[in-house]
Amino acid sequence: MAKINKTRVPMQEQPAEERIKNFHSVPLGYTKEEAIAEAQRCLQCKEATCEQNCPVNMNIEAIIKEIAEGNFKDAFLIAKRDNPIPAIAGRVCPQEDQCEGACVMGKKFDAINIGKLEAFVADWARENGIEEELHIEDVPGKVAVVGSGPAGIACAADLRKFGYQVTMFEALHIAGGVLQYGIPAFRLPKDVVDYELSNLKKIGVDVHLNRIVGQNVSFSELKKEFDAIFLGTGAGAPIFLNIEGEKLKAVYSANEFLIRVNLMKAYRFPEFDTPIIVRDKVGVIGAGNVAMDAARCAIRLGAKEVYILYRRTKEYSPARAEELQHALEEGVVFKELVSPTRILGNDEGWVTGIELVKMELGEPDSSGRPRPVKIKGSEFTMELNTIINALGTRPNRLFLDKTPELELATWGGLKVDENLMTNIDGTAAGGDAVSGGATVILALGDGRKAAKSINEYLSNGGKAKK
Amino acid sequence: MPFGDRTEPSVVVKPNQITRKKVLNASDYLIEVEAAHVAERFQPGNFAVVITVPQGERIPMSIQKARDGNITMFFKKLGKTSNELDTFKVGDSLENVIGPMGNPPELKKYGNVVFASDLVCGHAENYAFCEALAKIDGNHMISIQTFPTKEDIYPEEELSRALCDEYYLTTVDGSYGIKGHYTEVLKELLDEKRVDIVFAGGDVPWMRDLAKLTRPYGIPTIVTVRQIMVDATGMCGSCRVFVDGEMKLTCIDGPMFDAHKLNFEDLLSRLAMFKEQEAKAMEYYRGRGGIN
Repeated sequence: MAKINKTRVPMQEQPAEERIKNFHSVPLGYTKEEAIAEAQRCLQCKEATCEQNCPVNMNIEAIIKEIAEGNFKDAFLIAKRDNPIPAIAGRVCPQEDQCEGACVMGKKFDAINIGKLEAFVADWARENGIEEELHIEDVPGKVAVVGSGPAGIACAADLRKFGYQVTMFEALHIAGGVLQYGIPAFRLPKDVVDYELSNLKKIGVDVHLNRIVGQNVSFSELKKEFDAIFLGTGAGAPIFLNIEGEKLKAVYSANEFLIRVNLMKAYRFPEFDTPIIVRDKVGVIGAGNVAMDAARCAIRLGAKEVYILYRRTKEYSPARAEELQHALEEGVVFKELVSPTRILGNDEGWVTGIELVKMELGEPDSSGRPRPVKIKGSEFTMELNTIINALGTRPNRLFLDKTPELELATWGGLKVDENLMTNIDGTAAGGDAVSGGATVILALGDGRKAAKSINEYLSNGGKAKK
Repeated sequence: MPFGDRTEPSVVVKPNQITRKKVLNASDYLIEVEAAHVAERFQPGNFAVVITVPQGERIPMSIQKARDGNITMFFKKLGKTSNELDTFKVGDSLENVIGPMGNPPELKKYGNVVFASDLVCGHAENYAFCEALAKIDGNHMISIQTFPTKEDIYPEEELSRALCDEYYLTTVDGSYGIKGHYTEVLKELLDEKRVDIVFAGGDVPWMRDLAKLTRPYGIPTIVTVRQIMVDATGMCGSCRVFVDGEMKLTCIDGPMFDAHKLNFEDLLSRLAMFKEQEAKAMEYYRGRGGIN
């Protein structure tokens, strides 16, 4: 065996001082040579712990082996077997907690850069017009897929491969769900997302935009028209702080901020019509991926100071390691152990600051992380003139309020059994609508699993197996 | 096709195609557009989200009427979007027409119902509500429409006069019809104890005065709010308003709220948030030869 190469082939990136002036991808992607060199570092170990730790159990070793030998097409086709959107997962998965976290090389040296190899091979295929060769044989059965985010995409692709007629319903005017409205282009270029959606259409998925199930298409209409339904409605509604001052101008939910920037392209205002106001001192409440995305957008929109306000310490930030690192490189300042109590404003109704209380770390809570505890009387104020609340999201009640027949879990999401079937016959659900704010790859896994359940249901003459 | 816009090759119209356009006054105009999905499901109180061009914003619009797969909306030339849309001709298509959105109130017997309006969207709603509520047995539908001056009054067929049981047209300067604002006519009706419920749409500061007027009489007063929206599906919270201190979203909890509980100061403040940007967008549009 060749000598072990301990360190990763470095990923070329736009330098921080350049990239804060644009919304282009930060990583520039491996070249063929770099990808081969990185893939050759893989030990091809027997256990393939990386695969076991992948939520969709991608055949990672085989993919890497093919890349190492320069067989990019084969690598791509293997990736596609388990993951319909490797170009996206390679960019947004928390690899350090999954495949790369379990990489044997990573125990002593750098883990193999699996995410970037996955993205490389998918990008190579897209740029070279390589596609899966599919021979779809139509079978009877019409399925509605509600939501065009990662869960819906995965479910629709699999259902179509089973041969069903698939109709996808998207509430917004652009398909892709959180991949479009949530994740900024510098992390996930929109042509990558558009390409995957166009592939869905190419295999015969009928995508209907501007169809808001629960609002302008009723759930009962779907039940009447379709033999089975998949609900991938996401967790698209913001959680507000419920503190004084949320009415103030230049106080945004992260959802509003990101929808304006990503979906409506407010960063290109006035060329695009939707505006955004980012003033010089920005506070972002929360420290997850969404908070990092909002903070980094704010930097790119000209903010002079951007603070992450987090009630725990940096090490407990739920963000992907790469996002946190990129945010810090770009000048985002991490303020630990603070929690907002009040938002302050002036007579004209604009935000002028925030009152924070200091926190300390207590005993571990249900998440296993130390519970942040308020230090009494430690309130202080900080001058800020833009505030973005990235405390998380929950399922959209627009849909849930209009479908009282659907059983909910205690936390408010859709309740499903181990096969992801809801209490309504022939109706499956998955992704954030079921699990809350989770990851793209978990949503993907759900979508695939639900497609399997729906296939079983339909093959069984429209009866759920008990 | 229960779920799609018309996908059958229609020789007559494409989805979102403008089928009629008409000048209402110097600044207001009417556009009728093919939007079968919206038209089939529309009820007074619903609104549509319109995207005029590919780079456009999502704007909530009131609907005057829904007929044969078309909806009619009233626009006022204010900023970039409405000025640009005014350059569209019959046969041109809008980028997207989405809806119906929002929660319409129950169409039922209310007794003596007033609909009062003083601005473009309010006038569109006035028409839709008069048309629907006057038909219901036991309703006595009263419409009050206010325009600044005689020249601003809409063509007769776009007013709600013919649809209601009792009609008042006012001009603020008294150049035509009754002199004054709709609140003055309403005050007389309230004093005569001829009002069971008031609906209103249009200018927000006047809605605030309306709430002050009807509160002592204890008459339910429902106003239509057009807070700034982005997705209009409950995702962003841009359109939040405060009703009895509680946060509500105009898009999915409204757009109609109890005027006696709505915080008008916060509503007005947030409505003005993007004023500077609106001017900038207009300037940019003008600079590109958009309008003179």
